Amino acid sequence: MTIVLRCVLITVSILLTFFVLRRIRQSRMKIEDSIFWVMSALLLVAFSIFPGLADLLTKLSGTYSTANFLFMFMIFLLLVKSFSLSVKVSQLERRVTDLIQMLALDKEEDEKKGERDHEEKDSGYSQ
Amino acid sequence: MDKVLVIIPAYNEGLNIERVVGGVIENYSMFDYVIINDGSTDNTSEVCRSHGWKIIDLPMNLGLAGAFQTGLKYAWRHGYNYAIQFDGDGQHRPEFIEPMRKKMDEGYDIVIGSRYVDEKKPFSIRMVGSRMLSTAIWLTTGVTVKDPTSGMRMFSRKMIKEFADGLNYGPEPDTISYLIKQGAKVAEIQVAMDERILGESYLKPLSAARYMGKMLFSILLIQSFRKRD
Repeated sequence: MTIVLRCVLITVSILLTFFVLRRIRQSRMKIEDSIFWVMSALLLVAFSIFPGLADLLTKLSGTYSTANFLFMFMIFLLLVKSFSLSVKVSQLERRVTDLIQMLALDKEEDEKKGERDHEEKDSGYSQ
Repeated sequence: MDKVLVIIPAYNEGLNIERVVGGVIENYSMFDYVIINDGSTDNTSEVCRSHGWKIIDLPMNLGLAGAFQTGLKYAWRHGYNYAIQFDGDGQHRPEFIEPMRKKMDEGYDIVIGSRYVDEKKPFSIRMVGSRMLSTAIWLTTGVTVKDPTSGMRMFSRKMIKEFADGLNYGPEPDTISYLIKQGAKVAEIQVAMDERILGESYLKPLSAARYMGKMLFSILLIQSFRKRD
């Protein structure tokens, strides 16, 4: 790994951590959602401080150069993240649909109930 | 209103809820209570309604944090000065609510019903987790919380407001550490707790390790950077 690449990795990691922490400060992000980002930033810092680690993994994975390995690693990481986000979006969509339907059905039921109470009152059965 | 609101989150507690809530209502009528049914799929709601108990049904499962927050929003809207989390599984005992409320009068914001103020922590795998969390809180705040995972916590009106509106205000040890750091006064008093009798706990063994990781990460790395709105 060149010294420039290592510096870039460290800078990017620090910036990423800074943005994540700022989101938490502004109460715009849940702490559990920040774990992934802070941990991957720490991993990148680890790779740039201990380039031997990345070199070793490069040899093991057969990606010829350390930069290649880093690309592959990041792509896999992001693939996993985007998959889990996609699953989460599906769940959220389902919950929103359920909620909207529930709200509408409850409202209809309430209206019907209100009408019935009204009729009973008019015909003098309310006592 | 100087009354205490007992918030009872319940998720599939049909087996326990009758005994737990019944015990509170019959013997401790000086407290108000509300059951938060966290989208249970069993007969929790039917059991409560057949007794005519005060219950809020969440249409979907939100998890403990979301359910308890609902209770705190209710407490805030109805002007309660004190609210306590009281688990629906029978672990918490109602006779300790009044001593906790008395402790609040000494000017505390949060009073924790703690298992280990006078009694020593036993050495078990579960307690290793508890010790790690205590250490993490002590490292970041300098305050010793002997039973950080106790779910029996009483909150003052100021805290009710914060918990009701805030993001990242789960009723968990990391929030306690954050609030101590922000100057909240936290006390513990000795209570006894029962083992849960029937049904499954929120915290299954498999997710316990995950929970620990999340809490330690949050207390050690994140909370120091948070600011209070």
